[in-house]
Amino acid sequence: MNGVADITITNFLLIYLLLLIVLVVMKLCHIGQSKLLFVASLRMTVQLIIAGFVLMFIFKNPHPVFTIAYIIAMIAFATHRVISKNKWLNKSFRWAIFGTMALSGVSVLAFFLLAIVHQNLFNPQYAIPLSGMIFGNAMTGLNLGVKTFHDNLESEHLQIETLLNFGAEPKQILLPFVNNALETAMLPTLNSMVGMGIVALPGMMTGQILSGTLPTTAILYQIAMMIVICTVLCLSVFGSLYLGYKTLYNERAQIIFPQ
Amino acid sequence: MNFKIKWENLCAFTTIKYPDFSLTTEKIIFLNGPSGCGKSTLLKIINGTLTPFAGKVFLDNQEISTLDPIYLRRRVILAEQSVYLFSGTISDNFRRFHQYRKTPAVSQEKCQALLDICGFSFNLEESCDSMSGGERQRIFLAIALSMEPEVLLLDEPTSAMDSALAHIVMGNIIKYCRAHNTPMIIVSHDLELSNTYADEIIRLEGKP
Repeated sequence: MNGVADITITNFLLIYLLLLIVLVVMKLCHIGQSKLLFVASLRMTVQLIIAGFVLMFIFKNPHPVFTIAYIIAMIAFATHRVISKNKWLNKSFRWAIFGTMALSGVSVLAFFLLAIVHQNLFNPQYAIPLSGMIFGNAMTGLNLGVKTFHDNLESEHLQIETLLNFGAEPKQILLPFVNNALETAMLPTLNSMVGMGIVALPGMMTGQILSGTLPTTAILYQIAMMIVICTVLCLSVFGSLYLGYKTLYNERAQIIFPQ
Repeated sequence: MNFKIKWENLCAFTTIKYPDFSLTTEKIIFLNGPSGCGKSTLLKIINGTLTPFAGKVFLDNQEISTLDPIYLRRRVILAEQSVYLFSGTISDNFRRFHQYRKTPAVSQEKCQALLDICGFSFNLEESCDSMSGGERQRIFLAIALSMEPEVLLLDEPTSAMDSALAHIVMGNIIKYCRAHNTPMIIVSHDLELSNTYADEIIRLEGKP
């Protein structure tokens, strides 16, 4: 197996030509998101360049403080993204999201590093990229779960009011909405697990194979990471919604509908 | 004198003030007034789904804010104007509402009897999904009655029915509630209905 081939900057720049194809298709289909395509590509480029330099620095100067700081920044950014997409969330609900994502992500990461791959918890080479995958997926799952929860509360407003009027407990009324949102949030991950290895070779495995790792080793990492992602996503969505729904009613069992 | 429901110095928000009132068992009260005068809000305050801005409401001489809110709502049932029924059959709906309340299921005979009171003669296994607004409203009222309320609050209970049917259904429900010593507070725009069945009419004024 060879290591990954170097890309020169000139060759690398050619990849941006593909975005022109995307732009043409978007224009032909009257999708008014050309600005977003431009901003997204620019942000991705700048953010990844910065991440590359920061990681180079951390790898050259490995210290637990850097690893912890990087992971905290990831959690903060992931929480911020979920909150900014769901502006109706109250303060306690926001803390529930931050707390459960951080707790479930860090604990499962620790289990993976210490028990499965036997690495130092603060080894940046492992902890940082794995955290990126964990919190990136948790963020996507939380966005979907929290949005579904809110949409369903809105569309079933009448059901909720009627059940309250008839003397049902808020917990009894809201828990089915939590369960439904959790199911919706988990389905994309479960579906991607079903097609994995047949429909797609996932990013982490592809990256490892490109850099010269044996496919047999790469699949072990990939399987383990998919299980890690599935677990963190499940725990963070369930934890956030389970703690969060309790902030939607007061001591008089009146449900405060999120606006 | 013991009153079933009583309220004093009651205000919803800052703009709506209600006249003090006491309701004894068996009485049938109609609430009238222009839109936005706080009729539906008053019903929500009485069954505790809304907290008043000021004033107190008493149930059996106990202030409702001191009662467990779920216990209160199980005694004081509010059937709002907008009807909600689960997808499925009539009997599914009886079962599911009682399941949510954690109360024992109602027998088929009782469901049928309550539907008859509400002027509804369909089979219990009939699906509610394709029924008309009036039919759904009557099923909804029968379900509310099946909860054996101590006080029944109805908000525009016949809004989806024609006048003749509204009279039959209201007449039957009121007769049933009188027989069970269940006082009722009914919000209705139908003055004829109020004049025919009310023991007392509370006229609420609009916002100042």
